[in-house]
Amino acid sequence: MIAAFNEAKVIRAVVTEVAAEGWPVVVVDDGSRDDTAAAARVAGVTVLRHVVNLGQGAALQTGIDFALRRGARAIVTFDADGQHSVEDLPSLTAALATADIALGSRFLGKEVQGATRRRKAMLRAATAVSNRLSGMELTDAHCGLRAFRRTAAPSLRITQDRMAHASELLHKIKTSGLRVVEVPVTVKYTAHSMAKGQGGLQAIRILFDYFFRSS
Amino acid sequence: MIIRALLLVAIAAIGYLVFLRRNRLPFHIVIMFGMLALGAGAVLAPESLLDDVAHVFGVGRGVDLITYIVEAAGLFVLLHYYTKFVELQRQLTTVTRELAILRAEVDAARAPDDRGPKPEA
Repeated sequence: MIAAFNEAKVIRAVVTEVAAEGWPVVVVDDGSRDDTAAAARVAGVTVLRHVVNLGQGAALQTGIDFALRRGARAIVTFDADGQHSVEDLPSLTAALATADIALGSRFLGKEVQGATRRRKAMLRAATAVSNRLSGMELTDAHCGLRAFRRTAAPSLRITQDRMAHASELLHKIKTSGLRVVEVPVTVKYTAHSMAKGQGGLQAIRILFDYFFRSS
Repeated sequence: MIIRALLLVAIAAIGYLVFLRRNRLPFHIVIMFGMLALGAGAVLAPESLLDDVAHVFGVGRGVDLITYIVEAAGLFVLLHYYTKFVELQRQLTTVTRELAILRAEVDAARAPDDRGPKPEA
């Protein structure tokens, strides 16, 4: 399941690569101003479109709801900007044999490709804050590559429409008692994905949303 | 100072009314009309009377008392409409989500060979 916003340049290549490996793909176009939805449709996958931009959290939950209605037994979330690797999907889903949710980790052995030192430091700081808020001890709290069983979905329902959903998920994993495992994944940062990444100032908004817009 | 205690109580009451008793009573309407009435009263009342009332609450001048009341009422209205905004945003999310799913289901029904997530996913 891929949530996308203004990813017309890369979405076709990303979904084509995932679909080519036989994974059923659902793309949620989160009210993009470019041709993201059309580009994804060209790749022949299911595309849902938000008529207005709501945020990544909302887009993920829309895709999850749709996949559940279509009978999916497990759901994988995959970033639209091409930073994730389709080769990691088998190990991620295989981890669900013994866990309810598998979280990808950029800092568990595999290499973080193309990230600046500043970006790595920011990711580690974000992980430290999220661990503190959720009470968990993860090596990477904000990797968009995750897999979870259908049965775990109700406990993980995302109410944070924007980027605070990552911290919300961790909090829900912790409070629901779901079995969680971290799986090493490779993340390739490109100029495109770096430009779309969250800046330091965005962190303030994320914290505000987390504390003042929680349900 | 009496006014400090009163303002603290007012802020606590605002928190209670906005976050805990939401949607039960239209306090925001009552408060807005109360502010209008207070404004009219403040204009019509002699200055000395306002000062006398202010002294009862430990405030030096009537105009200061009005300022305090307006600030507390303004805070209440601001927070009330903020919570309303968050609620509306949540409703917008629900509607947008349902519309997206519905359209996809309609598209899938029109094209039976559509590639969607299969049960064995």
